[in-house]
Amino acid sequence: MSIQKTFQEINDKIKREEAVVLTAEEVSAMGKSQSPAEIVRKVDVVTTATFGPMCSSGMFINTGHANPPIRMEKATLNGVPVFTGIAAVDLYIGATETHLEDPTYGGAHIIEELIAGKDVELIAHAKGTDCYPLKNIHTTINRENINEMIMFNPRNAYQNYPVAVNGSNRIKYTYMGSLLPKLGNANYSTSGELSPLLNDPEMRTIGMGTRIFLGGTTGYVSWHGTQFKTDAEVNEHGVPVSNAATLAVIGDASGMNPAFIKAAYYEKYGVSMFVGIGIPIPVLDEEMAARVMIRNDQITTRILDYGDPDHPELGRTTYEELMSGEIKLNQKKIKTASLSSLYKAREIADILKKQIIEGNFQLSEPVELFPKGKGLNSLEIR
Amino acid sequence: MNQTKKRMVLRFPAGTVNEPVTYTLIKEYDVLINILNADITHGKEGHLLIEMIGLEGNVADAMAYLESKHVEISPVVKTILFNEAACIHCGACSSVCFPGALEMDPSTRRLLFFPEKCVACELCIKACPLQLFELNFGVN
Repeated sequence: MSIQKTFQEINDKIKREEAVVLTAEEVSAMGKSQSPAEIVRKVDVVTTATFGPMCSSGMFINTGHANPPIRMEKATLNGVPVFTGIAAVDLYIGATETHLEDPTYGGAHIIEELIAGKDVELIAHAKGTDCYPLKNIHTTINRENINEMIMFNPRNAYQNYPVAVNGSNRIKYTYMGSLLPKLGNANYSTSGELSPLLNDPEMRTIGMGTRIFLGGTTGYVSWHGTQFKTDAEVNEHGVPVSNAATLAVIGDASGMNPAFIKAAYYEKYGVSMFVGIGIPIPVLDEEMAARVMIRNDQITTRILDYGDPDHPELGRTTYEELMSGEIKLNQKKIKTASLSSLYKAREIADILKKQIIEGNFQLSEPVELFPKGKGLNSLEIR
Repeated sequence: MNQTKKRMVLRFPAGTVNEPVTYTLIKEYDVLINILNADITHGKEGHLLIEMIGLEGNVADAMAYLESKHVEISPVVKTILFNEAACIHCGACSSVCFPGALEMDPSTRRLLFFPEKCVACELCIKACPLQLFELNFGVN
């Protein structure tokens, strides 16, 4: 009879420090010579991770009230506008918001600096009300003197993403990095076989409430991410061949580590933020074992031409080829590079593995699973 | 005749600083002078970091003129400085580096920098999302 495990049984083993935990890369290598039945018998948890630029990120802060109090209507942190359209001293720092004069500095830098414990200059204005009479404030804030720093990222951890090339005659500076003309290079962004949603493509174990590693501390999957899509084409190994599912995640940024949240600037595109995410996947049965065994040569992605505004598909490739440093397209060898850091993703997968082995990280069963059969709308101009 | 472009540092002895050398280069030798850095004080030694663009013959004549004025000419060597300690090893720079100065280690997935292979094409400066590369104007 095939083995079936529950979250509870696995958590009990974690508590007793008896759980067998491998990273997704380790289990992929093991899967070359062992069957899903053997893997489910030997392995309890597989850690997955990613460390890539994720624009749809940001952080709520509550600055505390001044005396007399102000209801901030316009505010900047180190010259970067922040969203004030909520309560008096609740602010949302959008990762991609840019400084009023310096396009290379933005919300992601403010988030990284606050996490690092640095002072940040706050300037805010209001019209003044009977209950909030103060009209202007100029002060500094830091991690210690504000009430909350809650990272909430509406769309992270894309399940697969296309490769970007440039078939045009001039260099393109994009969110997929510098793309050299005439298919001069190819950039991709994934940790491949280590990536969370590629190891649980049907999201049987990752759902609302899943406890995760986020930016160096514990966080949670709070919802499906924006632009969540489950109707994408899948390949013969059951993984989508393009961008599909996404995660909305939340966590206490006051416990985060700037080594796992990094501000980025992409030339002539703007500011983004590297977010470190690690997700444990319980090997509940043979079916899950087969999923976490997925290898880079089994994960396909599309190659899109960012030199053309319609981004036409020029071909397909696998992450094994992409990670070799070179792909072949139209008889041409093209140098490849990743935008997400596999080196850092491995570091995260190892940290999470250690936490689970030592009994310091319990898995949480999703409170609710994600919607099925969800497609995407596009914005009609009418 | 072919057009040429040379970057150089010109060091002026104290006596030459007062002469309109750049004017003469442009007016008499028909070369384009782009001043990238300058430190000139009357009566003292000074230096100019310039880019000289013009026909090969004109550039050669212009340099002979400078030598006749005892201006010391040093070709500029551009190098790329890399703040390796802050690197997150994404690898975005490696696909724009054709001389192979920036390569990903296939097993550790760390970025490797081989400065001796670098031709200072500067593509990595714009490709790095953490802005860890900068141009350094050294002098031979």
